[in-house]
Amino acid sequence: MNQNKRINVLINEALNSVDNINRGSPKPFLLTRIYARMNHQTESIWEKIGWFIGRPAIAFLSLCIFLVINVLVLVLNKTSAQTMPIEQITQTPADEFSYTVATIYDLENTQP
Amino acid sequence: MNHQELIIKLQQGDDSAFAMLVEENQDMVYNTALVIVQNADDADDITQEVFIQAYQSISSFKSGSKLSTWLYCITVNKTLDYKKKMNRKKRLGFVQSLFGAHTNEEVRLIVFDHPGLQLEKKESAAVLFNALKQIPYRQRIAFTLHKIEGQSYQEIAEIMKTTLPSVEALMSRAKVNLKNKLSNYYIQ
Repeated sequence: MNQNKRINVLINEALNSVDNINRGSPKPFLLTRIYARMNHQTESIWEKIGWFIGRPAIAFLSLCIFLVINVLVLVLNKTSAQTMPIEQITQTPADEFSYTVATIYDLENTQP
Repeated sequence: MNHQELIIKLQQGDDSAFAMLVEENQDMVYNTALVIVQNADDADDITQEVFIQAYQSISSFKSGSKLSTWLYCITVNKTLDYKKKMNRKKRLGFVQSLFGAHTNEEVRLIVFDHPGLQLEKKESAAVLFNALKQIPYRQRIAFTLHKIEGQSYQEIAEIMKTTLPSVEALMSRAKVNLKNKLSNYYIQ
């Protein structure tokens, strides 16, 4: 009981500690520093781009687009890999029955 | 120079009017930023940015509203930008730590000491500022504006561009959260 009472007193003391607080002041020559900063504030195009890319929404969106492109490339490669053997099968008989292959008959009966 | 004359001269780009604006409001802006971000250098940076923004966008200032409310509004927005920047740095630090890179960012474990505190209240205030750091950002802003800067709930609603009931709710939640944090601290 006494403990609770003591804690409540300390809490109220802490909450009221900022009553009648004096204002803090910035470092001297604030106006000079403001003018100096205004003169220096010519943001380059790269800084603007960096700021834009650094935004969480943009970064997340870029990551999603990157992942989608990767998945698409993977899927497309997979489907083209499946069609390749079929082409080979159809090509093989053509290669086997090719009429361009020279026979022994052709080689032995050469025209004078 | 009265309020209206000051605004007209500021809108005309008068340097002496801008110097007067800075001179009269620098403590108000700095103190608000200081309590919210709890770092003197960052608060100084924010103060500069607030006045630069004020200088650049004075043409958009509506003559019906108060200049101090407008400056508070810019300060709150700048502290929110600061928080986003800090979060970005944290994320970047985490990613760099994954790749084994050492970041140059120092871990800020220093207890915040407000320069305007009375000596006998310093200890209790340090505990309060530490608890303030742990509550949600909008609650922290509302509490700072009301308790430290003495703004009314209506003015806070204008500064934070919200409604009066939502400021009341923010303040109520801030007090409950602070009491819980303080209670946990004193029980340990």
